[in-house]
Amino acid sequence: MVEVIQQIINGVAIGGVYVLIALGLTTVFGILGIAHFAHGSVSMFGGYLTFFFVTGWGFPLLLAILVSLLVGLVLGVLIELLAYRPVRDANHINAFIVALGLTMMVEGLNLEFFGHEQVVIPTNFTRVFNIGGVTIPELRLYVILAAALLVFTMTLFVEKTKTGQAIRAVAENRDAAILMGVNVNTIRLVVFSISTALGVCAGVMVGSLFAIAPGMGEGLVIKGFAVLILGGLGSIPGAVVGGLVLGITEALAAGFISSAYKDVIAFVVMISVLLFRPQGLMGKK
Amino acid sequence: MIRNSTFIFYGLALLGFLLLPQLIAVKYYLHLSVLALIWVIAAQGQNLIQGYTGYVSIVQAGFMGIGAYSTALMGLHFDLPVWLTIALAPFVTAFFALLTGYPSLRVKGHYFAIVTLAFNMVIFIVLMNFHELTQGEAGITGIPKPGAKDGLFNWRDRETYYYFVLIIAVLMTGLAALIVRSRIGQTLIAIRQNEDLVGAIGIAAWKYKLFAFVISAMFGGLAGAIYAHYQSFINPEIFGVAQSLDAILAVIIGGSGTIAGPIVGAFFVVFLPEYLRFADSFRLVLYGLILVLATIFMPRGIVGVTSDLLAKWGRNKK
Repeated sequence: MVEVIQQIINGVAIGGVYVLIALGLTTVFGILGIAHFAHGSVSMFGGYLTFFFVTGWGFPLLLAILVSLLVGLVLGVLIELLAYRPVRDANHINAFIVALGLTMMVEGLNLEFFGHEQVVIPTNFTRVFNIGGVTIPELRLYVILAAALLVFTMTLFVEKTKTGQAIRAVAENRDAAILMGVNVNTIRLVVFSISTALGVCAGVMVGSLFAIAPGMGEGLVIKGFAVLILGGLGSIPGAVVGGLVLGITEALAAGFISSAYKDVIAFVVMISVLLFRPQGLMGKK
Repeated sequence: MIRNSTFIFYGLALLGFLLLPQLIAVKYYLHLSVLALIWVIAAQGQNLIQGYTGYVSIVQAGFMGIGAYSTALMGLHFDLPVWLTIALAPFVTAFFALLTGYPSLRVKGHYFAIVTLAFNMVIFIVLMNFHELTQGEAGITGIPKPGAKDGLFNWRDRETYYYFVLIIAVLMTGLAALIVRSRIGQTLIAIRQNEDLVGAIGIAAWKYKLFAFVISAMFGGLAGAIYAHYQSFINPEIFGVAQSLDAILAVIIGGSGTIAGPIVGAFFVVFLPEYLRFADSFRLVLYGLILVLATIFMPRGIVGVTSDLLAKWGRNKK
């Protein structure tokens, strides 16, 4: 039993990362109608950058994250302006293929700048809490808390602010939103900035919890989409439920069945959900 | 008139392909040409689902892997003749495509792409980890060439294999053209243009989509099987997601939704990385950049642009 709880806690930590990735993807999808496939690689770029600032320039962790967020924002905005905007009126397939091309480019840049070696962002959160036989590393706890905080802030922003209202309006009915005086072009940039910022945070979490290595971005973005398919599109609760389900399934599968096949098991869960509830766990018919 | 010029074009292209081994001095380019022809088969399949039906599937290399491993394993364990295992490989692939196509076609657009991509990852993970069957990363060696040792043709000769693959590629291109011109093909195009409308006039779109998906997988499986016997060695490395992206690139660069497109595109994706060698580690960046620029500025591919130019030229002459 203790072992099960232990794995569930591990699952919540990794699930938190998935939730952040999925939130970034779902806001972009809602506004731009694009499956932003390069999101994972951009997130890893943020993680790499943080690592570089901490180890190369000796920045304190928080400052390094902050600077990486800013650089990430610039990258995200550039991607929107230079790559996605030219294809916004074309067929949706075109935007997706642009996204695939961007993934290759960002992956290539990551390789070029940061090399082939896997890196771990050093933190000094090394304490381990022990509650009734269940061990919780301090770092894991902070990751869970930070993810929860980000989800909460994001919800507040989307529900309570004027900009958030505009985002929801564009997602619901683009033309009507334009008629109401919402500047869609600005909204696209805002959404891209938020999504990239969430991605960079996720990248930092992956980099400090596990490690960043070439090719991880793709795995991560696929997990993000799996979360959306699991949880149902376009809703924050869907992304949260989907992310936690996926993370916990994976941790349990790795702990009790086989760590080599944990991804296979996670995808099998996604596909079975698709068979019985094509609209996702939290989606409406 | 247009029909005639198309026939002349294909006739000239075929002649070119027939003469190609005589024109190539460097053996390595002959090797690349064989690979490109194998990719033509896979890309024709990819084009059926991506170009004609409008569903981007990211699992073509995975299906090539299933074809390659099934032909190799059937030969190894059941001692079947090479011809038979090559012929059976697409059907094994079709079985897996049926299993995976049914759930994944329940979602549309981007999400279909993501689900198929997940399948490619599953295939890759299984090929890597199921050591008892696939020997993992080390791969399977000593896959026999077709034909007896002292048969009519020398299969160890690259040129012989080139002509063999050329015949298959021509046949499969012809098959793809037949499918596209048939009623089924027209329905697939209709699905790409407006799926709701297809449903509204009482056509079960999902059956046609599943058909396109399975057929495209069979093309991939066949290409993989031929690849396995050509190289005599396979490992999971070349059946990953990156190679599935190559298949997509081949269709887009060549011209999606055209029969000539995948042929041009396949040669493009095989030869381009060779020419980008100078760029070394920036190769991936350049490759991605080409993909992005091609999609933005040349969404109809090389074939689309060329036929536009030819049409313009034809008008000017009058």
